[in-house]
Amino acid sequence: MEALLATYLKPLVMTAVIILLFPLIAGYITLAERKVLADFQVRLGLMRVGPYGFLQPIADAVKLLLKEDIVPSAADRWIFWLAPVLSTVTALTAFSVLPLGPNLQVADVNIGLLVILSLSSVGILGTILGGWASNSHYSLLGSLRSAAQMVSYEVAMGFAIVSGLMVAGTLSMQGIVKAQFDRQIWFAFSNYGLMFIPFVTYSIAAVAETNRAPFDLPEAESELVAGFHTEYSGFRWALYFLAEYANMFVVSSIAVTLFLGGWLRPFANIEALRHPLDFAFPAGLFGLIGVGCAIGMRRRTVAVDKGIMAVLAMAMLGAAAAFLVPMINAAIIGPFWFLFKVSVILYCFIWYRGTFPRFRYDQLMRVGWKYMIPIGMGALIVNGLVLLKAR
Amino acid sequence: MKKFLRAVFLVDLIEGLWVTFRNQKPSLIYTEQYPAERPKVAERYRGAPRLNINPDNGETLCIACNLCALACPERLIVVTSERNEETRRKELTTFTYDTSRCMFCGLCEDACPVDALELTQDFELATYTREGQIWDRQMLEEGPRPTQYTH
Amino acid sequence: MPDVTFLDANELVLNMGPQHPSTHGVLRVILKLDGEKVLGCECVIGYLHRGVEKIAENRTWMQFAPYVDRMDYVAAVSNGLGYCLAVEKLMSVEAPPRAQAVRVILTELNRITSHLLWLGTHALDIGAITPVFYCFREREEALKIFENYCGARLTTHAFRIGGLQYETYDTFEKEVLAFCDMFPAKVDEYEELLTGNRIWLGRTRGVGILTAEDCKDFGVTGPVLRASGVEWDLRKAQPYSGYEKYDFAIPTGRNGDTFDRYIVRIQEMRQSLRIIRQAVEGLPTGPIMGKVPKVMKPPVGECYVSIEAPKGELGYFVVSDNSTQPYRVRVRPPSFVNLQALDRMCRGSLIADVVAIIGTIDIVLGEVDR
Repeated sequence: MEALLATYLKPLVMTAVIILLFPLIAGYITLAERKVLADFQVRLGLMRVGPYGFLQPIADAVKLLLKEDIVPSAADRWIFWLAPVLSTVTALTAFSVLPLGPNLQVADVNIGLLVILSLSSVGILGTILGGWASNSHYSLLGSLRSAAQMVSYEVAMGFAIVSGLMVAGTLSMQGIVKAQFDRQIWFAFSNYGLMFIPFVTYSIAAVAETNRAPFDLPEAESELVAGFHTEYSGFRWALYFLAEYANMFVVSSIAVTLFLGGWLRPFANIEALRHPLDFAFPAGLFGLIGVGCAIGMRRRTVAVDKGIMAVLAMAMLGAAAAFLVPMINAAIIGPFWFLFKVSVILYCFIWYRGTFPRFRYDQLMRVGWKYMIPIGMGALIVNGLVLLKAR
Repeated sequence: MKKFLRAVFLVDLIEGLWVTFRNQKPSLIYTEQYPAERPKVAERYRGAPRLNINPDNGETLCIACNLCALACPERLIVVTSERNEETRRKELTTFTYDTSRCMFCGLCEDACPVDALELTQDFELATYTREGQIWDRQMLEEGPRPTQYTH
Repeated sequence: MPDVTFLDANELVLNMGPQHPSTHGVLRVILKLDGEKVLGCECVIGYLHRGVEKIAENRTWMQFAPYVDRMDYVAAVSNGLGYCLAVEKLMSVEAPPRAQAVRVILTELNRITSHLLWLGTHALDIGAITPVFYCFREREEALKIFENYCGARLTTHAFRIGGLQYETYDTFEKEVLAFCDMFPAKVDEYEELLTGNRIWLGRTRGVGILTAEDCKDFGVTGPVLRASGVEWDLRKAQPYSGYEKYDFAIPTGRNGDTFDRYIVRIQEMRQSLRIIRQAVEGLPTGPIMGKVPKVMKPPVGECYVSIEAPKGELGYFVVSDNSTQPYRVRVRPPSFVNLQALDRMCRGSLIADVVAIIGTIDIVLGEVDR
């Protein structure tokens, strides 16, 4: 009975939670993105819906759900319908092997990384089909670009991942994290720092793989209007959006797992740092946010806003307190570090978007094939040799 | 060599990242939250028109000379007047000003010899109908009553 | 003009605009493509035509002045200056020295605002979404000076025929000098963000090359011409409004590509600051309005006056039949003439370059269509 629970019920529950919760999380990632971009651009960003725009994602979701569903008359109806579904399903499926914490995972399959890679390859199909089925020139050009881009950057990404795998010696996501614990080092810094090169190439390829700026050619707004999803609107468009953010989350998770120690805290082997990093840091972080919310609450004038801010402040302070209770701490510290690292990487994604101009199609290909892939290959060989010598 | 190292370590990109990063300071935020924060409008701002009245006796300053109507490039000012037989002076009867066609060039207030017509600092001229944009004498004298947007 | 009616099986016709995020308004470009490569393009204009030149014939000389602000609405002050100078020449009056100096200050400030708007939107077209906000922040400071001076920010109607309507306000000099002090550091910031950036270089170097010969053939003027290495600036070549008194350089480029045009405009902003500083420091006192009759009736005749607007040579050809209204006003808008070169610059480039090239010409559709 117990075994049955462990094998079936827990994964099922987690799957349901992810599917139900991630759209909301994605919404709040967009909120964070808009707020952070606003920060870079010396403006305030969302301020209207809820206090400091806090309810905006919900308003957006409702708007998208209620919008008229438009299918272009010349579109291939079935494929037009299928494409965003394909993108979303593959992106969300990839979540099943992400090790959010020591025990928090839908399935610790022994080929976890391979699953994610293959799913992301299938996910490209959603983009290509969507652009093609729209029967519009802009969409077609967008999907052509995405096909070429994703295929070439998949190779670069593959080389970087293989380097990581070589050091880890396993494809299981949990195994990779454990290997970093055993090796007492995050893989980004191992091999005398040589592994940092694959980490950098992975980071760049990951940006390209998720169609984010400066590699956002498939949806280049100023050139192709909206690229492959020009003709999509309402909920179908929301699905593409969801897929994009899910993909961002997944690639960041891979980076965290493979190179940055997954759910391990920094310096996981130094016992002396356990208390400051596992207790003081998260408690302080949430405490600060809570205090910030409380100050924000006092500045608001509308009663509803005040209420929402109060609830937020309480929740944050509550979370801070929870981190101080050893038993609860043990359960949530893993996911905390994992999500913390992921959000740092997501912040960088937004940062790039706020700073860099966009590549041109041919430059993108040149960067991919002439720099990323050779560097990835070279790093693979060098790291391999170093490992061989160490053995 | 220096150039090569700069290229390898992506210095140019990192410089750009640093620019955006350092602009994150909350004190640098330039946004003005319009209905809550009112912009400070310049003294010479050319906004909503106003017909000035003499504060002493409440009579209009306008002498119905029609110069503003002649100066207006859009010909949107219509002044009518009648001759008062007692004082033998022209007196203003109606004054209409079509703000929907106005481009706020300021030529009418330049033309006014008695400073009766003036473009004020009011800038909230939105109405729900086109007719609402045509201002009559009363509206011009008392000024528009804009809806106060609080939220 | 590409022959878009007979298509190869490999060719694709893409209709870009008039509703497109980066055709700067309502420009429509018909692109003939081979994959992403541009084989040719054709501009379709006229979506913003308002008949400004015809309106002129039904307005008095004075009344037409606010309309010219609405052609190149990001450089309204320059437009107004050109028109005023043309009518003044027709009537053989000259603005007094103080009026001329104030005119120079405001037009140069306007050049900066125009270039700032260009820089922001051009960077946005190329995908850098942040510079536009920084540019608008600084532009706002200059617009505040306009607002304080004449009561409007964009369509200023700042000048009158014969001089100025408004005397400068109390803190005018102080505010302008404060802007001059603040601005260079901001230009450095834009440059830090863009000039050295390898992606920016990749997107602009060697893109949309226009040789000096091409420029002369097309009649291209302004920063586009200067980026091709031709040192031609009307402020130096045929000074007007007292420009001969000021010391400034004409920045030129060498290759005539998008990057050079970017650098030329950045340098021009710095040079404008120099002019403004000199003009403010040597601001003469005296009257601001020349001897102009209330009812203007210029003698029968015609004249052409051109000035260096931010986008190039802005010319006004005015004809008078000794009545209160112009007989004919013909405008030579720089954007319209410069836009002709689009096809030459686009051929053989990629779609992404077309966007960069449209941006780099710096067109304002209000001026192209009039």
